[in-house]
Amino acid sequence: MIVAGVDLGSATGKAVIMKDGDIVGYHIAPSTRHPVETAKQVMEAALDAAGLDSIEAVDLVLTTGYGRLKVPFASENVSEITCHARGAHWMIPSLRTVIDIGGQDCKVISLTNKGMVGEFLMNDRCAAGTGRFFEGIARGLGTGLEGISGMENQGPEPCTISNQCSVFAESEVVTLINEGNDFKNIISGVNLSVAKRLKAMVKRLGIIEGVALTGGCSKNDGLVHAVGELMGIEIKRLPLDPQITGAIGAAIIAGEKFEQASRTVA
Amino acid sequence: MNTPIKSEAFSIMTQATAGLENPAIDEWKAQGGKTIGYFCSMLPEELFLAGGLLPFRMRATGSEGTDGGDSYFTNNNCTFVRHCFSVALDGGYDFLDGVVVINSCDQIRRLYDNWLHKDISPFVHMVALPRQSGPDQVEWYTGEFHRLRKSIEEHFKVEITDKGLREAIAVMNETRRLQREVYELRKRERPPITGAETMAIMVAGTAMPKVRYNELLRELLTELETRELETTYRARIMVTGGILDDPTWMEAVEEVGGLVVTDGTCFGGRLMHCDVDEDIVDPMEALSQYYLADRPSCPRMIDTQVKRKNYTVDLAREFNCDGIIGEKMMFCDMWQVEQFMMTMDLKEEEIPFLKLEREYITSGTGQLKTRVQAFIETMGK
Repeated sequence: MIVAGVDLGSATGKAVIMKDGDIVGYHIAPSTRHPVETAKQVMEAALDAAGLDSIEAVDLVLTTGYGRLKVPFASENVSEITCHARGAHWMIPSLRTVIDIGGQDCKVISLTNKGMVGEFLMNDRCAAGTGRFFEGIARGLGTGLEGISGMENQGPEPCTISNQCSVFAESEVVTLINEGNDFKNIISGVNLSVAKRLKAMVKRLGIIEGVALTGGCSKNDGLVHAVGELMGIEIKRLPLDPQITGAIGAAIIAGEKFEQASRTVA
Repeated sequence: MNTPIKSEAFSIMTQATAGLENPAIDEWKAQGGKTIGYFCSMLPEELFLAGGLLPFRMRATGSEGTDGGDSYFTNNNCTFVRHCFSVALDGGYDFLDGVVVINSCDQIRRLYDNWLHKDISPFVHMVALPRQSGPDQVEWYTGEFHRLRKSIEEHFKVEITDKGLREAIAVMNETRRLQREVYELRKRERPPITGAETMAIMVAGTAMPKVRYNELLRELLTELETRELETTYRARIMVTGGILDDPTWMEAVEEVGGLVVTDGTCFGGRLMHCDVDEDIVDPMEALSQYYLADRPSCPRMIDTQVKRKNYTVDLAREFNCDGIIGEKMMFCDMWQVEQFMMTMDLKEEEIPFLKLEREYITSGTGQLKTRVQAFIETMGK
């Protein structure tokens, strides 16, 4: 059984190919202007990575993410909230809380012991503390995303960033630069400010230990560190690229749906 | 996809909901009829009808931005009032001969201030709404209705008689009865109508002559009686909340599999939950009793939370709902607190509940759909 999960996010598209429950190929690429185009691109590259010739080899494709409703070669779609829960739980079964930080959303999801979504919270129509936020900050600092993520870039005395609005936070960073603050303290300040926001969201749902971050922004070591420190808990690191968590979840559900359908036919 | 509703009645209603001024209003005006806008469901439409006026519930359908209104409001005013004022400044309400405002919330009060400041309408009347709904307040609110009655009589040079009021009450009770019939059909395992379609029907009722509307409802009911939605939905949803007059919002919910089968909103179910008591001798008192005390209220009223909770839970059970979506506009303090309490109450009742914040005009449905779909998935549907 070969299945695929395609996660069409606001910033990137991700595809994961699974064969009999194992990942055999995946691909991440920036989102294009059209979700169908993005889906095709990442799917082809993932098939390539899996050593498969064409999409014909795939038994079932399931989509998730913002573009999920429009893909013609997908037979099902599931929300990214469920997919992140399933994908993260597949990687670490002891997880009970998933914090997904994507391009324009952050979501806090509580998991049941079977990896199902218990409850969830999602940020309200505002890019604060998401990939877009970090992109803006990086721009303000004249660096790339990698410039704010590495642990070597985190200063010991984080500056205070009080604005949660992405646009205002960017100008606040510019002010901090002009006041002559240490560059690294500004960076650790930015990560701390996002961690504070996430903490508030997590607390609203109730922290259940076994916490991991997923989504593109969880590649930011500085942020992961700040979240762990602030909440006083261990943040588990996923064994695979955390950006493909949603696509993994989609592939897992695709596998279940395919098996279910096969059983019905039999 | 469902086959569209065929009857012409529905297309007339959809047309009325999709914009502000509509052919039914134009026709009314062409015959020399006067129109009056009113800002909240707590205002007595019967009083306007008895004065020979066509009542129009204020909304800002089709508004493309708040830019006009933004100069007169602040960032923490809700987008409903900002859109409405933008429409007003652009002359979008020029088809109205006056408006009646009520202090149902501070947003509306600021709108009233600006309305006077910019001299938008030839007739503006402010009704003062009590915070409580006991017998003393009903008596007091009756007085407010008398003040409104006098003010309409003087400005429009009409006489509002008790007989006229009783007739208006009868017409509107008929409207409510017919609307309840539409809702009743949605209790079926396979309802004949979507939530978006129902919303178009309900909003239309606030934007055309009532007698005509009742005729259309009867025509529509004949078709609905035998109609059946073809699409299979994953869950039955109840929507609760404040001002929601936009069928496209409901469409987004239904597009990801949540069929809206009932609601407790003030453009929907709360409008016709019960009737004005025709046995009360004084029609003014009957209206006050109905609008202030009998009908399920908005969280704006003090000491009504338990009553509203029971109403919500009962309705959800009656319509066999899998879950409830609570919608509120950003900066609506009333519903903000209500939703907080509802979260706890519904947890206790073991009814899945999703809170959704929105802007007045529906846009960017991506996040909305993700939330609703995930909500349905958490119910194991």
